Amino acid sequence: MKNNSSFLTKNRGILIFFAVMLLAPFLIGLFEGSTPLMIWGNQGSLSKFIEGLGIEIFILALFALSFDLLFGITGLLSFGHAMFFAVAAYLTGIALKTLAMPFWGVVLLVLLAAIVQALLFSLVLPRVKGITFTLVSLGLASVFHIIVMSSDMINLTGADVGLQGVPVPAFISPVTERLRFYVIALTLLVVTYLFYRRFVASPTGRVCVAIRENEDRAKMLGYNTTIFKVVVMIISSLTAATAGMLHALYQPSISPSIADLGFTVTGLLIVLIGGVGTLSGAIVGAFAFRLLDFTLRRFMGESASFITGAIYVIFVLFVPYGIVGTMRMRQLRTKPGWQRLLGMVKPKN
Amino acid sequence: MKTNLRKNSKAIIILVIIAAFLFVAARGMSGRDVLITVLRGFSTGSVTFLVAAGFSLIFGLLDVLNLAQGTLYMIGAYVGWTVYVRPDTFIDVLTPVLLILAGFSLSALWGRLASRIQLAPKARKIISWLLILAGFGLLALVLTRYPIAIWNLNNYSESPITYSYMADQGLRIIPAEVTFEKISPFLALAGLLVSSAISAFGIALLNRDESRSQTINWRNFLVPALLLLGGILAVVFNAQITSWMYAMSTNWLFVIAILIAILSGVGLGALMETTLIRPLYNRPIYQLMLTLGLGTIGLQIVQAVWGRPEFVWPKPEFFTGTGGACPATNLADLLEYNCSTVFLLGGRVRVYDEIFIPIVGIIVLIVVWILLKRSRIGMIIRAGVQDRQMVEALGINVRRVFTLVFALGVGLATFGGALAAPSTGLTPVMGERLLLSALIALAIGGLTSFPGAALGSLLVGLIQQFMIKYGQIGIPLPFTDAVFKPSPPLVPASTVLLMVIVLLILPGGLLGSKE
Repeated sequence: MKNNSSFLTKNRGILIFFAVMLLAPFLIGLFEGSTPLMIWGNQGSLSKFIEGLGIEIFILALFALSFDLLFGITGLLSFGHAMFFAVAAYLTGIALKTLAMPFWGVVLLVLLAAIVQALLFSLVLPRVKGITFTLVSLGLASVFHIIVMSSDMINLTGADVGLQGVPVPAFISPVTERLRFYVIALTLLVVTYLFYRRFVASPTGRVCVAIRENEDRAKMLGYNTTIFKVVVMIISSLTAATAGMLHALYQPSISPSIADLGFTVTGLLIVLIGGVGTLSGAIVGAFAFRLLDFTLRRFMGESASFITGAIYVIFVLFVPYGIVGTMRMRQLRTKPGWQRLLGMVKPKN
Repeated sequence: MKTNLRKNSKAIIILVIIAAFLFVAARGMSGRDVLITVLRGFSTGSVTFLVAAGFSLIFGLLDVLNLAQGTLYMIGAYVGWTVYVRPDTFIDVLTPVLLILAGFSLSALWGRLASRIQLAPKARKIISWLLILAGFGLLALVLTRYPIAIWNLNNYSESPITYSYMADQGLRIIPAEVTFEKISPFLALAGLLVSSAISAFGIALLNRDESRSQTINWRNFLVPALLLLGGILAVVFNAQITSWMYAMSTNWLFVIAILIAILSGVGLGALMETTLIRPLYNRPIYQLMLTLGLGTIGLQIVQAVWGRPEFVWPKPEFFTGTGGACPATNLADLLEYNCSTVFLLGGRVRVYDEIFIPIVGIIVLIVVWILLKRSRIGMIIRAGVQDRQMVEALGINVRRVFTLVFALGVGLATFGGALAAPSTGLTPVMGERLLLSALIALAIGGLTSFPGAALGSLLVGLIQQFMIKYGQIGIPLPFTDAVFKPSPPLVPASTVLLMVIVLLILPGGLLGSKE
């Protein structure tokens, strides 16, 4: 990345995406007959609804992006990833509601908590590998889910009803300043994506890919793989925490379902739909997943999750590389791809 | 012996610490409570073990993490319940299932036939997909018109809750029979058979290469013929069999229900392995996600068919006696009056929940252990867990063993479900909960180790039950008068904590192989 133009050409896709998403509320506003000025003033119901859907997608995409870095790039399959998201969401809610902390203090606290959690997960990293790590992370996350659901802390977390009535600072309130919230979420997503692209292309990122391909070989080459895994864990945790914070600010209530295995699986599903290890697949997958879920729930009602499960199985069987992965496959040879997916869970002997 | 001790010193130390911990915990209770808690621990452990053992067999040999195991456990419970409470539904469903199986079991024959047909690859692909689609379309057409006497989720008096409640009271509602109205019986049977045969032929045509080596002998015709005969008998004598089953002693009905649950698990497992898991053997992550997806789908199907509300599975007569010398104090009384509870050390112990389930668990442990250690197939399985490539190189058809092990593992899970349901009741969340404890048990015991699964399940069961008991009586905190009562959510949390500690010290689990 020597000069500006190369940066522009390299990241053409995401920049176009950024521009289109910025303009989208205004364009949709035109359809319902409200002028861009009205949209600017947060009027117009349809565009506001679309903005809301967009914010949800961006939050999911951020979460999926962090999961892709951990799973698709470094090859660590964590079933406790939702914990990063949920801890941030609950911490934001509790800090704003019960502790009445100033907003920026909350942000700092949440990011700090994310790092602490990543270090907690990293505690087990040098010892357990592959599927055992998956189980340990599942265990740690289910402890958190259990704590959230328990009636002992009902005043703080709201137990199974969820945390409600979080006072959101007025300047990013999703009710009155939704456009600003939308732009902030979009910008965070795009900046994170660009940073991730840069990270994966950097020497550190390359070592992470090497760890995914063959950890023993990376070790043999003299890399302390644990350090790299910890770094990835921290970055991933920070991103997921950002997404969790946005979720807590945007949603009227924080439901405990974001802390359970199902939410991690949602992240996994998004990454799978988009394409494992592609980064941009996380964004594409989040769009596909949320829009599909939205449409299905609207037209099918209860049986929507059955169809989601079926789509999941179909993707696993027939589109294993996801949308982005399959599109890229035209240029790539297929064989390395198959080999790449081999032995991700089981450490190679 | 000495080196063995030194090698496993960490595992032994952990076990000693846990045992000491449990001993201290037991000291805090009266002898009666200890006995009941330990028995309940064995009971929970047995059910967990059935699921965990299947899981560990499958993971050990096939490297597939079958995360649908929890859902399959639940399906076992629901299928068993259906056979036990609504035999008429079961007999109605039996015919289509047997006929479809008969159609699909012709596939060996079709494979032979398909390998003789010379077609361009593309034409072969298109024709086979067309055949499969046509077969399934016809199947759907016939099945929607096929009469099956079923409960009605929207009408409370015809819901599963009512049926099980009435059966529990000993007053069985015998629902009205459903007759062939929308379709003539002959057409329905022929349609089922033909449609499944067509789709089987399509599938055989699609993977032609695999079936080339098979030879045809009388066995290929025996299985479809038997299935066909069974299906036709079930539909001809439908009314007679139904009334016979309703009149039957509930003990025998219970045995039949358990057997059918196991069989359905074995069938489902074989089906899953051959159709869905097999194409993904070189992509472990995708198998994992596939089983997760299948688990979700299964859960949705169960919720759609049996509904969300919880209902009970009435226990069979053998465990519900209350008259005479009940609660029994000795074995003779117990057997004579079929008592539901017995007096042990001054405490009342439920026979089914706290004595029967652990006994069955131990029997299964021994049977599977003997199967693994003493039979040829067990030898192949154990060898396959050690080194799959070597077994293949020795000329053993590992594919068939894979299917068998998957079927066995799923069968164990459905068995566990059918066994546990009379004591726990049936809810759509039962699978999820049990999957978590089975995973924890396996992580503690060692993922691929069969004795590890047993040990881990036992520990998980005991710790859970001790926590539940202390949740009732409370733990007096030292130096204060306060009493700490662990709330119910802490029960799974305590086992997770144990898992994390064990894995940090021994990444391979207590009895697992060293990494």
